[in-house]
Amino acid sequence: MSGSKVFLQQVLALLAKDLKTEWRTQEIFTSMFVFSVLVIVVFNFAIGADTELIRQVASGVIWIALSFASVLGLQRTGQMESEEDSLQGVLLALHDSSALFIAKMLAQVVYLLIVGLCILPLCGIWFHIDFIACIGDIGIVFVLGILGLSIVGTLFAMITLHTRAREVMLPMLFLPVSVPLTIASVYATAQLIAGMTLRDIVDYISLIGVFDIVFFTLALLVFDHIVEE
Amino acid sequence: MKNFWYLFAAYSTIWTALGVYMLRLSQKNKELQAELRALQVQIEKALTR
Amino acid sequence: MRTLSMLLISMISFPLVFIRNNSIYQAIVMYVVMLFATLLVFIYAPNEQMQGIVQKIFYFHVSSSVTAFSAFFLVFVASIMYLWKNAEWWDAVALSAAEIGVVFCTLVLITGPIWARPIWGTWWSWDPTLTLTLVLWLIYVAYLMLRLDAHDPKRSRFAAVLGIVGYVDIPLILWSVEKWRTLHPKPVLIQEGGTTGLPFTMLFTFAVCLVAFMLLFFYLLRERISIIQSQHTIEVLRHQVDNLPTG
Repeated sequence: MSGSKVFLQQVLALLAKDLKTEWRTQEIFTSMFVFSVLVIVVFNFAIGADTELIRQVASGVIWIALSFASVLGLQRTGQMESEEDSLQGVLLALHDSSALFIAKMLAQVVYLLIVGLCILPLCGIWFHIDFIACIGDIGIVFVLGILGLSIVGTLFAMITLHTRAREVMLPMLFLPVSVPLTIASVYATAQLIAGMTLRDIVDYISLIGVFDIVFFTLALLVFDHIVEE
Repeated sequence: MKNFWYLFAAYSTIWTALGVYMLRLSQKNKELQAELRALQVQIEKALTR
Repeated sequence: MRTLSMLLISMISFPLVFIRNNSIYQAIVMYVVMLFATLLVFIYAPNEQMQGIVQKIFYFHVSSSVTAFSAFFLVFVASIMYLWKNAEWWDAVALSAAEIGVVFCTLVLITGPIWARPIWGTWWSWDPTLTLTLVLWLIYVAYLMLRLDAHDPKRSRFAAVLGIVGYVDIPLILWSVEKWRTLHPKPVLIQEGGTTGLPFTMLFTFAVCLVAFMLLFFYLLRERISIIQSQHTIEVLRHQVDNLPTG
């Protein structure tokens, strides 16, 4: 049992290291947040002044912003890793390389959650949506969806780390594969905004849940193959 | 026979695409085989010198 | 349901990948069957009552679709085998299957709209199967880009991961797209486009077309694999030539 305790400690240590670095510079979070805001504002101009229409597409806009922000955050994380070339050193110190995956994934979850929390009030104001009424339910969808984005994103970020056209390859891999997640999250959120309860969107939530579980398992299974020399 | 041209478009696309692909494959294969033989001859000559 | 049955059918033929040589005999068989299939499509199969002659696109369209799914299934199996056994051959199979899969997938995406335009009155409808095909196309084009782009020696392993991930994603994509579809109004159909209760003549034609396409697929696969293997051998031989004793 000491094996899993060590594992947990390593995960937390790696996570703490990443978060501490980010806390100092706040590079990643700022770029993610600003980019999300940009996406939302531009979409707002593109869709026009019809309030009802905007209410209907609000959910989609939010999740698009989150997806793109996710890509941005992953690219910066990957860049930091390859600049310092610390990857091999870290891996040597680990018993189980999947600790690295989980740590990176959790870091991504944290960034996205914070970005999400920040843009929700903005969307509430700009799109005239009352998020407070369903904030608990939306929180659940957000956590599950962001978890999925982070799992798939971190996996592909590690894969595209050394490819030449990294900026292009990451979204090219990440976005199509996460289509089920995007669809389910968008419609779950949309229905919550429209006033439905958690029970109404059970099938979307189960889709997101299954997606998360399947890809988490898959990632753990193949991660060794990705990072071994 | 209405909509005939749609049918024609579909089938000609399929056959052209597959045909072009097959031609490219066999051409590439022939090139590679020739290169392979040349290299083998080169090696043989060097070894039997 | 229809997509599921196509997916299942597409998995059956994969043991054929183990036939390694590409004899002239096999090429002739493939050619003859394809000729026979074409004959059946245009002469034997009756014209569908409501859709008319355009319905005949479906024989090759659905066969391409099943072949593409077969190819992607093969990428999935080959990727797993490559990660497990680390054998070059499986990597070659994966790359070849992915490339051919994308070719057939492109054909599906082109012939689909060509059929849809006269029948549904619109080039595209976000029909679950067609949408699934589009997303798969994106995923496997990214696969090809990953393989051709990364100069990392680990690229085969990265691609293998993508090959596995992409295929596992299929049921999830199907599930989500079908759910999504129920929210959108179906296109106003000029004529009903479904195939309910096919007469034997059509079923037989379909079957022969499917067999023809499968034979074609495995023929192309073997050609493509032999190209990769020749390239490897050439690399090895070049290395030898460079290291030959001079003089």
